[in-house]
Amino acid sequence: MAPSSSSGLTFKLHPLVIVNISDHYTRVKTQLNPPPSVAAASGNGHGGDVAFQQNPRVYGCVIGVQRGRTVEIFNSFELLYDPITDILDRSFLEKKQELYKKVFPHFYILGWYSTGSDAQESDMHIHKALMDINESPVYVLLNPSINHAQKDLPVTIYESELHVIDGVPQLIFVHASYTIETVEAERISVDHVAHLKPSDGGSAATQLAAHLTGIHSAIKMLNSRIRVLYQYLVAMQKGDIPCENSLLRQVSSLLRRLPAIESERFQDDFLMEYNDKLLITYLAMFTNCSSTMNELVDKFNTAYDRHTRRGGRTAFI
Amino acid sequence: MDIEQKQAEIIDQFVRRSSTCKGEALASILLEATSHPSLFAFSEIMAVPSVAELDGTTTSVYLDVLRLFAHGTWTDYKCNAGRFPELVPDQILKLKQLTVLTLAETNKVLSYDDLMQELDVRNVRELEDFLINECMYMGIVRGKLDQLKRCFEVQFAAGRDIRPGQLGSMILTLSNWFNTSENLLVSIQEKIKWADNMGELDKKRRNEIEERVEEVKKSLSTKKLHTVGRQMLTLEGMRRSLLNQAE
Repeated sequence: MAPSSSSGLTFKLHPLVIVNISDHYTRVKTQLNPPPSVAAASGNGHGGDVAFQQNPRVYGCVIGVQRGRTVEIFNSFELLYDPITDILDRSFLEKKQELYKKVFPHFYILGWYSTGSDAQESDMHIHKALMDINESPVYVLLNPSINHAQKDLPVTIYESELHVIDGVPQLIFVHASYTIETVEAERISVDHVAHLKPSDGGSAATQLAAHLTGIHSAIKMLNSRIRVLYQYLVAMQKGDIPCENSLLRQVSSLLRRLPAIESERFQDDFLMEYNDKLLITYLAMFTNCSSTMNELVDKFNTAYDRHTRRGGRTAFI
Repeated sequence: MDIEQKQAEIIDQFVRRSSTCKGEALASILLEATSHPSLFAFSEIMAVPSVAELDGTTTSVYLDVLRLFAHGTWTDYKCNAGRFPELVPDQILKLKQLTVLTLAETNKVLSYDDLMQELDVRNVRELEDFLINECMYMGIVRGKLDQLKRCFEVQFAAGRDIRPGQLGSMILTLSNWFNTSENLLVSIQEKIKWADNMGELDKKRRNEIEERVEEVKKSLSTKKLHTVGRQMLTLEGMRRSLLNQAE
């Protein structure tokens, strides 16, 4: 269903689009399958629908700029599509298009998006419907099922091409490769989302674990890259790969920077900061303990003395 | 990395030109290559077969010069000045730049004295000018000049051509780096497990204390306040102190 695209267009996708699509999907899914507390409150009215709407498909438009052979997708908005009657709400689409044109005069409708695991036949209808706005729309598909083993983004971009199948020229979807392009503002927000801690992670242990996990994954990536370099050099030494001098030069200049943190000044600064931190933690612990002790003594005194004598107390300790 | 890109075109050019010529014509090409202001890599040119043929002929000095530029330093040239033809000022400049690169290979902090000796420069001012104008602005080194300590801290230095033996040492360094990072990964994982365990223990302790408090509350009966009073108050005090400590 999806061989590689041959149109030669390069696609650049902004993270805002991905966040928009996933947000749209999450909203629709939560509204259809309300969380247990809400369902119980509303009296189990949607009991029958829950099984049906496990993975609702959402639809929307993507907009952006096309400069020559580069297609850059900046933003997206939602569309009203009724899967039962197969009708795309055109007036809504036009209204939205007009509004977006006012704010972003340079953006054109480049295509549409949807969620699901694979492109389907019915998608071709919507694709053809959009072909009168843009003669070659793109189809962005987000796979909402979470797969922890998968390392790449579950986003695929499809283009439509005219292929002759069984003697009949048909439009089919073909894969297109894309790169992610970020603006500074997007980088900040993506970083923020990536570092979301669990909202009840108040305890120090979970925060520490989360922080360490982040460092762990970063070092793992570094590790895999070092391994690639190492295997490349070993192969070059054995002679499997012809020597490429410019790469070797770059590697040698990189390796010269190691070890990066062994100078004396670094050790001094590092140890000083480490000792300072330990001292402050120790001091805080001291203060905590002494205040707890104080409270304990006060309460003990109050508890005991109420019984033995009024006024004038003997010190307990 | 940008130096490599800048050089790539020039290298291509020279390789093409030298593969078409032979003998004397090559000599002039090599001269041009070694004086070219932005060319610091010569191993590709050395690999061209017609250049390698020069070895042993009358014009082999030019090949020697090329080798000197690929792997040698200014001191090498001074010691064996007889073997090499006269170098034009451009070439001298380039050789000195390459010398700086070689020095940066071994140490990250280069003292001014060492540099002045290697480069035959008399005073600090000249040295600094050379470093700033010829090396840093050309982009082959990046670093900080520390005047108080009279040293030059190198943060980045472009690579020189690789001698055949250097590949082995590069592989060794890489494997060390790789092993260190693997060990680090393992120790981080252990720390994560430790943090999780500590969190678990803490939660369990709190739960236990809460349970004991509940038990005490339930076991309090409504007997005479007086006789049980002392016991109840003590238990209350104990509960409060336990909770305080738990916090």
